[in-house]
Amino acid sequence: MSSVSPTDGADGSSLRAPRTLALRDAGTLIGLVVILLVFALLAPGFISERNLLNILQQSSLNACLALGMTLVIVSGGIDLSVGPTAALSAVISGSLLLAGVPVPLAILAGLMLGALCGLINGVLVAVVGLQPFIVTLGTLSTYRALALIYTGGNPVLGIPASYRAIFNGTVFGVPSPILIVAVVAIVAWVLLKKTPLGEYLLAVGGNEEAAYIAGVPIALTKIAAYVISGFLAALTASILIGRLGAAEPILGNLWELDAIAASAIGGASLMGGKGSIIGTLLGAIILGAMRNGLTLMNVQAFYQLLATGLIILVAMIIDRMTRGRG
Amino acid sequence: MNQPVPRLRFEGVTKEFPGVRALSDVTFEVAAGEIHALLGENGAGKSTLLRILSGGLRPTSGKVLVDGRELVLRKPIQARAAGIAMIHQELQQVQHLTVAQNMFLGHQLTRLGGLVVDRAEQQRRAAVALARIDPSIDPAAPIRTLKVAQRQIVEIARALLDEARIVAMDEPTSSLTPSEFDRLAEIVASLAASGVSIIYVSHKMDEVFRIGHRATIMRDGAVVGSRSLAGVDQKEIVSLMVGRELSQETHRSFVTDEVKLEAVGLSSAVSRVRDVSFRLHKGEVLGIAGLVGSGRSELLRLIAGADRRSAGTLTIDGKPVAFRNPREAIAAGVGLCPEERKREGIIPLRSVTSNLSLPSLRRHSVGGLIARRQLDKAAERHLKGVNLRPFLPDRPIRLFSGGNQQKGIIARWLAASSQILLFDEPTRGIDVGAKSEIHALIERLASEGHSIIVVSSELPEVIRLSDRVLVMREGELAAELPSEGLTEQRIVAHAIPGYAGQSISHS
Repeated sequence: MSSVSPTDGADGSSLRAPRTLALRDAGTLIGLVVILLVFALLAPGFISERNLLNILQQSSLNACLALGMTLVIVSGGIDLSVGPTAALSAVISGSLLLAGVPVPLAILAGLMLGALCGLINGVLVAVVGLQPFIVTLGTLSTYRALALIYTGGNPVLGIPASYRAIFNGTVFGVPSPILIVAVVAIVAWVLLKKTPLGEYLLAVGGNEEAAYIAGVPIALTKIAAYVISGFLAALTASILIGRLGAAEPILGNLWELDAIAASAIGGASLMGGKGSIIGTLLGAIILGAMRNGLTLMNVQAFYQLLATGLIILVAMIIDRMTRGRG
Repeated sequence: MNQPVPRLRFEGVTKEFPGVRALSDVTFEVAAGEIHALLGENGAGKSTLLRILSGGLRPTSGKVLVDGRELVLRKPIQARAAGIAMIHQELQQVQHLTVAQNMFLGHQLTRLGGLVVDRAEQQRRAAVALARIDPSIDPAAPIRTLKVAQRQIVEIARALLDEARIVAMDEPTSSLTPSEFDRLAEIVASLAASGVSIIYVSHKMDEVFRIGHRATIMRDGAVVGSRSLAGVDQKEIVSLMVGRELSQETHRSFVTDEVKLEAVGLSSAVSRVRDVSFRLHKGEVLGIAGLVGSGRSELLRLIAGADRRSAGTLTIDGKPVAFRNPREAIAAGVGLCPEERKREGIIPLRSVTSNLSLPSLRRHSVGGLIARRQLDKAAERHLKGVNLRPFLPDRPIRLFSGGNQQKGIIARWLAASSQILLFDEPTRGIDVGAKSEIHALIERLASEGHSIIVVSSELPEVIRLSDRVLVMREGELAAELPSEGLTEQRIVAHAIPGYAGQSISHS
């Protein structure tokens, strides 16, 4: 492939209209609408208030993880350890509840533990200087092992009803998990768009060396992304154990893959420097709607997996083709 | 026919991209054995033309004739078969492969019916090709162990290997030292003497005049003239390129007695810089010359807090400072405009405003949130001050020309209220028009009381901009010279290792 000399501004590559993320979000939204229309035609009962809320509720867990994942990806990293982080935080939080620790305290402890898991990832990446993929691959096993060792492999059963009520309730008819994740999404959006940390994340992921020269606190920025990701993994866990009434040490297996998929469908670049909060939400809903629709159509699990894989690939191909040559 | 058929002829070549005509009706010829300079500002269409020649793009209309026959290229690989070799500004070599492997990349010699690469034969042939131009290069050495100049020679040897009849070189000297350029000039001349036609793209007028036979000047996608370089002066060529007369540049000094920054015995923990002492005054432009690798850029990195020092002291406004990272240096009023803009300067996907605001975000935040309107206003003011063109601060910075990216970086430090500005090769890869703009800007900043250090390989630039020139040699200061009446020869004499220069005089 011949490359354009960087000095000549009038070449084809430079003539494209500047693509804003909003335009990319519109593309994701169109994708979601197409999927909703297809299932509306094929799956009876798909378009009903109850089922749409159901889709949002099912998507909310993945969305919560994916929001953190997006920030990490934007910073040029990846967090493979979100599932085990969630599991570790779930079993600790669950045990504290069983031991009679007040609910707010148990939730807080779980969230702090998640943040601590993220902090360890962040320090290994940003201070020790290891590659994010390898670091979080290592902690993926480590955190999972700690959860299994701590529980002896058994689920923590009997989460108190007072706790479960928080995550099973509704506010004005909307299930509380949806509201929680909506709040998280707004905070993440503000963070990425309106705060110095957001600019720093985009700068570090876009060009770390240049960001360093420009005075961006590289290590702190990266660590912040992993801490947020760990925190949100723990939040996802606390929602889930509230819904299930049990904290299993094997909870969250392969969650990282769905979270990465939602981020990528939403426009995050695994090269870093690019990603969208709105896009990620839409990406999570696309994945959730797919699964819901296929289940309503009584499609077997194997084919559901196939469909999920294909939708990711198709989304990326469309992304590539509409972007033109880079 | 009486006229000999030209080696290469562009005939009415036009290239349209959606919304823009990048080339319009380009017609000119290059004779066999001719070194033909292709000149023009950024955006004039030189690169587009080269891409058409190398098969990377197809013209909308018009044709390219090689030895009178129309060239139809669908893929870059076909250009090579047609005897066309392209030497890019940013060399496209695989770092961990050897010289010989790189030379045969894409058309390896094989044995056993194509199953095994015949490394021995590749090395033998590579050695033969290299021997013709630079026998000191070992074909078995990994390419990453070579200097840029040597890598360029490898590319030329590769062109020889392909028996290229047309070699296009895109800014081959942008990172060469004067002596390396001399060597390259010799090689190019002998290549031309053997009948190869050379298309030579460069921004450096001196080089073009030394090396080239004829020049074609482009502006806004069209040819504005072809000239024999024997009979014209630089001014005529430059005014053809820019479409106007450039104002005569003479040095104006704004230096004061106030010492802004003082380095005493500064040494680097990570580079060869050692025991460097100098003073920088308010309003002064201090030039730093020296060969590539003499520690010029590393000295700037040291002052900017990007590298750690191992010894020595640095004082700003009389107060000792010890920077652990660029953040601390920025807080003390030091800003670095780095040499490699793409690698160290810009965040390509982000807007000019975002790139500009990184060091000053904190100042423009209220309650943890960016005060967007206030920030945009400040950015706009500074970008107007440096004359960003086109004036689209929200556009991703990668879509701007090198000169305008540089203006964005300069505006960044103005927005951060930096008092000490460090420029590393401020006009590398920047066209003539923007270059004089950057020069005027540096002068204006000095007049406004900024203290400035300019590192440059272009000695006329150093001499023109600076009040004083420091010459570095092998990591140390070799000389301090007043710029008035300074000649390039004197600088070079101090820059070359082994020269027994006079003792350093401190001001």
